Formats: sequence, structure tokens, C-alpha cells
Amino acid sequence: MTKIDTERSRILAIAPTTRGFGFAVLEDGAILVNWGIRSAEGDKNKQSVAKVKQLITQYQPSLFVLQDMKTSFRRSRVRNLSQKLIGVAAANKVKVAFISLEQVRLGLLTDGRGTKDAVAEALVKKFPQELTPRLPKKRNRPWISEQYNMGIFDALALAVTYHSFLGHKPFPRRP
Amino acid sequence: MSLRKLPNYLRTHRKRLGLSQDQAAFLLGVSSSAKISRYESFTRVPNLETALALEAIYQKPVSELFAGLYEEVQRKVAGRTRTLMREEPGGTDGPQTDHHRVAPLTIIPQQNLNDKN
Repeated sequence: MTKIDTERSRILAIAPTTRGFGFAVLEDGAILVNWGIRSAEGDKNKQSVAKVKQLITQYQPSLFVLQDMKTSFRRSRVRNLSQKLIGVAAANKVKVAFISLEQVRLGLLTDGRGTKDAVAEALVKKFPQELTPRLPKKRNRPWISEQYNMGIFDALALAVTYHSFLGHKPFPRRP
Repeated sequence: MSLRKLPNYLRTHRKRLGLSQDQAAFLLGVSSSAKISRYESFTRVPNLETALALEAIYQKPVSELFAGLYEEVQRKVAGRTRTLMREEPGGTDGPQTDHHRVAPLTIIPQQNLNDKN
């Protein structure tokens, strides 16, 4: 497990989406410094990497958090992007941590079970001023696409989960 | 090494209030949002009048909005305070009764006085 300064940390979390990526910058586990979506067209991975480099340059994070691809079923482009982002972090001497969706649910939901909407609602309770206007509507039909705002919540969930599990080594996993 | 604060948190506070860069520019009385963007991306530091206007808009003290800049200034002042203490007759062990000698020490957090950077 990557060890970071627990007194003051700045975590940059990235959640790739179909249109680009969602990001969140969390300082000391309590201050949501910046959050948003960066869209990419054409060569999405190339553009995404360039935009992540900009974020790293601007925010100088102490830690970079990505989704753990070993336990997910993401498409090959997203897996490639994840590998490239690990390289970008290494080039900028930023430590990388991986969080699985299972760990996100364990960290943010009381019984460790629930949907992405439940995770998003838990995050809104934690950061009401920042996130209430960005909370995506619940999909009431299975064929409706996920709102692109969800990328912000995916990224922030990774950062908050990492911070909430600091001191737990190894991170909890469902038995 | 401990992580330093960002130069400013203007983007954080603007987004918390749900303001666009154009709206923030209007409130500041500037014609374009480009200036806001430059402040928020740390490429430009606003003048005192603008900084005070930002304090009025975001309802946060300037030292909090420009936390990193404030820390940097504090460190510099602490460094000069140490120099002043060394140059004063009696040094750090001298009598602390002179008001002009005590004042700078009381405004600087002890950790900054101990910081060698």
C-alpha cells in the first residue's frame, strides 16, 4: 500500500468515462479543491493524458488515485489509458494508489452494498455545497445513458475512499 | 517534506458558490473572464483592491483565499524575524521587553520561526 503524509495530502483522482474523464482534487480529506469533467474527442487517450498532465502541473498532488482495473470490466481503451496515466504519474514523481469499486462501496455505504447513485448521494451528504447542483438524476429506465456528471462522483469516490481507509493496511475487502 | 498549500483557492470558492468565471468577472468589475482564469490557474496575482473584492465576493479572508501565498509570505517574514533577532544586541536570549522586538515574534506562528526554509 502506498503511504502518504496523513497530516496534509492532496489527492488527484481520475475516473475515465466514455467522453473523457472525471476528476476530483481533495485536500486533507475534507477540502474539495476542484472537481469536474474533461472531455476528449478523436484520440481520447492522447487528449486525456495531456489534460491530466495539466492537472498534475497545476495541483501538484501528493497522490494520484485510479480505479483498480484488475477487478473491473472496463474496455481496453480505458485500461490503456489507465496504464498511460500510471506512466504520467511516475514521470511526475507522484505516487499512485488503486481503489476498487468494491472498496468504494465498503468505504462510503453503510452496509457496503448499493448502486452508483447511492454512492453519489453519500458524497453529496459529505460535500453538499459543492456537489448538490451536480448530482445526476437517477435513471428510471435501463436504456437511458449515464449522465456525464457521474464521472465527477466516480473520481471523488475514489479519493474519499482512499482517504477514509488511511491507516487501514491492507484496505478492507469483502470477506 | 510536508505538502504546501496551493497559491490560491479562488476556483474552489467560486465553484462552491456556483458562479461562472463570467459572473465572477462581472462582480469584480473586469471586462473578461480571462483575468479570472489567470488568477485561478496561478499565472497572475491580483492587486490588493482585487484581492479585497474577492474577499467580499467569496466571504472568506484574503489569507484563506490565498493560503499558499500567505504561507510563503509568513515564511519570508519569519526568516527576516530570525535575522532581526540575531542582529539585535542580546540576540534571542536578550530581554523581550521592547515592544518593537516582541511584536514580530507574536504574529508569526512558532512553527514558521523554527522552519529553516
